[in-house]
Amino acid sequence: MNPVTALFANDYDEDGFRNCSVTGLDIHRSAENHVKLFGLTAVIAMVVGGLFAISVALTRWELIGLIPEDGYYRHLSMHAWNLLIFWMVFMEIAILYVGGPMVLGRRLPITSVAKAGWVTMVVGAVGINWSIWTVDGGQVAPLLTAYVPLDVPAAFYASAVLFLVGATVAALPFFVAIWKEKRLGSSETLPLVAFGAFVTSIIAVMAILGGIAAFSYALIWKLEIINSINAGIYRQLYWIIGHGSQQINLLAMITVWYFLTHVVGGAVVVSEKVSRSAFILYLFFINLGAAHHLMVDPGLSAGWRIFNTSYAFYGAAFASMIHAFAIPAGIEAGRRQRGLGGGLFGWLTSAPWKNPVFSSTVFSIILFGFVGGITGVLMGQLQLNMTWHNTFATVGHFHGTVAVGTTLAFIGLVFFVIKTMFRRDYLSGTLASLVPYFYASAMGIATLMMMYIGILYGVPRRTSSVVRNIPGTDFSLSAAQPLFMIFGVFAVLAITAGALFVLVSVGSILFGRQLDRDDDAGLLPDGGLRADGGESIHAVDMRGTFALCLIFMATFVALYALNWFLLTRLWSIGA
Amino acid sequence: MAQDTSEMEKSLPATVRKLIRQFWRDVVSIYYANTPTWRWLKSGALVFLGFFAWMAGSVLLSVEPSWGVLTYVMAYGFLLLVWGPFTHLAVVPLTIRLRRTANHPAARWFSKNSGKVNLTIFFSLVIVFGTITPSIMMLEFSPSFSGDEAADFSGELVCNIGEEVVTCHIEDAEGVDTIEVRSGGQTIMTIDSEPYEFELQRSEIAETRSGKEFRVIFYDGDGTVLNRQVRLV
Repeated sequence: MNPVTALFANDYDEDGFRNCSVTGLDIHRSAENHVKLFGLTAVIAMVVGGLFAISVALTRWELIGLIPEDGYYRHLSMHAWNLLIFWMVFMEIAILYVGGPMVLGRRLPITSVAKAGWVTMVVGAVGINWSIWTVDGGQVAPLLTAYVPLDVPAAFYASAVLFLVGATVAALPFFVAIWKEKRLGSSETLPLVAFGAFVTSIIAVMAILGGIAAFSYALIWKLEIINSINAGIYRQLYWIIGHGSQQINLLAMITVWYFLTHVVGGAVVVSEKVSRSAFILYLFFINLGAAHHLMVDPGLSAGWRIFNTSYAFYGAAFASMIHAFAIPAGIEAGRRQRGLGGGLFGWLTSAPWKNPVFSSTVFSIILFGFVGGITGVLMGQLQLNMTWHNTFATVGHFHGTVAVGTTLAFIGLVFFVIKTMFRRDYLSGTLASLVPYFYASAMGIATLMMMYIGILYGVPRRTSSVVRNIPGTDFSLSAAQPLFMIFGVFAVLAITAGALFVLVSVGSILFGRQLDRDDDAGLLPDGGLRADGGESIHAVDMRGTFALCLIFMATFVALYALNWFLLTRLWSIGA
Repeated sequence: MAQDTSEMEKSLPATVRKLIRQFWRDVVSIYYANTPTWRWLKSGALVFLGFFAWMAGSVLLSVEPSWGVLTYVMAYGFLLLVWGPFTHLAVVPLTIRLRRTANHPAARWFSKNSGKVNLTIFFSLVIVFGTITPSIMMLEFSPSFSGDEAADFSGELVCNIGEEVVTCHIEDAEGVDTIEVRSGGQTIMTIDSEPYEFELQRSEIAETRSGKEFRVIFYDGDGTVLNRQVRLV
């Protein structure tokens, strides 16, 4: 068996099913093989994007100043598309296949469509990479947003449309699996993970339709089928996919949190009703918040902006608060039920912190919440946006959410899948355990520095060289140099941690010890997957989670007050 | 009724006292928690708190320079970056070990009072740093970048745009060593003598969405960019 086909081999029965020794799920080879295919493609995209993280970080750290102005946007575009879109979306298709057919114990339907979707996505992704990399003459690199009327190659827009169509096609087998489950399968409600994946997929469809509209609009203008293009309308359409894709990341990540905290942490769902209601709130409100990208656009009324980014968005923010309570509460209640609690935080400190699946997931929860989530709510408000917009703090925010939060959750998922699907042990347990700590701390601090640089000094984003004097003026941002030193060092460490993750994960898949059929690989929590007996979940204490939520609220209030106070000092009227 | 009211009045302060006592006991037990997990979680949380206090203090001080007390907040955060991990990775584990094994009276005294000693030293340093405000804490140091001050130069690009040819020169050039003419991402020519006069054929100028565009970049003798001017034709 050659090494590639060996990756997709497991011990299936004559119907193509096997029983997972960790989750107890009945898994069909069609679902598992496609999860592996999309997951491995995601990791390849992460490597490409990570390589460009080196050039981007070492350019913004102007002590090094690696890439001159002319080349910087090309590298930045490669970094952005490969990490923010391809690493995320390929992994999310894999998550849909896990949350759908795998959790439901079904075959993956219409596998030819799944393959067609993968091929289309890959062709689109390669096309996007190629059109960015070969930009020349008067044409410009698109960055993530490819705003019209920048002179971006038509091939870029065509490839982007292709990629999104491919993602839609790849999602179809998931929808068919859910349809079959509801029509032909059990009359019971979907398991929470499947429910979360289903809501994720609906939000994904909304986002992708907006993206296809935006890129098609730009494409027909580039091909001169229409004579002119309205940049404002393009931006309105673009941000449906621009932020919608981030909401897909958010929901997929939360679904992964519920899944992994349950399997390896011993978490339970404290209230199915409350958690599901939170997903429904996301469905109605979260994409409205994408309007926060249009805060400084002309032609949109303040009322429209405030309604979407404040009133409507708080429906989604409330849902986030629910999950922020429910997930740690689930860990606490589940572990206390197993007798693993004790005191205020004993349930947390006795958790399997050496298990990289658990530590990745928990660091993802904590850092997404404190670093990414709070700053997102702050800068999504019309007034506060004035101090955050297009500063380096914006870059810090989305590194907090995606590069720290979602990436850590997906790193945990990859570590999980190495043992449960590829059935390999880690090449080095010590290095595998180290990766989440190393990455979370280095990327966390680099992210904090980006935010502080943007808020303290107003350093702009999307520029290669600004800390030195802006030529021809007395204006100077050189005061930001000290924090850029800290940023640069920790960005390099974060990239090193990412490289270590790739080495350990790919090395384990290729060279790790094969696990026996019934080996649970040390992943299960003490007491197994389901606690036997014990108190009813509603009688279990959750005071540790309550304390953590109070700390979270105190942090939120402090940052809220600080930002609004700074805003009041921004302009001295009549001084 | 009166008895109910007085019981309620007694129980409210008692409840508050109980909560405060419980809170203090929790804080002390977290301070002395010594498993590897606790050590790292506490250290990590304190590093984050340290950065926040340092930066928040800095930004508030920049908008309200009269709020001098903020230097102490900055000092607290700045020192916490190191002292937090030092306390929970070194001092607390040492304390626990000494409590179990120490025989020497000094060691036993230290193990009983290490918390007080540690926090006294820490807060003393906070007061010292907050008062003397070292430049590293105030983010006022400059790593070795040259060119912190605005370069002393002048020069205005003046162009005559004809049907076929564009002719330009730099007027009143001072402090300029070389100019580079670029279009479409390519360098077309470099001129290093006054009056930095050059000619461009329209056909040499790259087309952009806004029209034909070229740029002139001014450099000083060290190769540092002084200015950048863009012209549309």
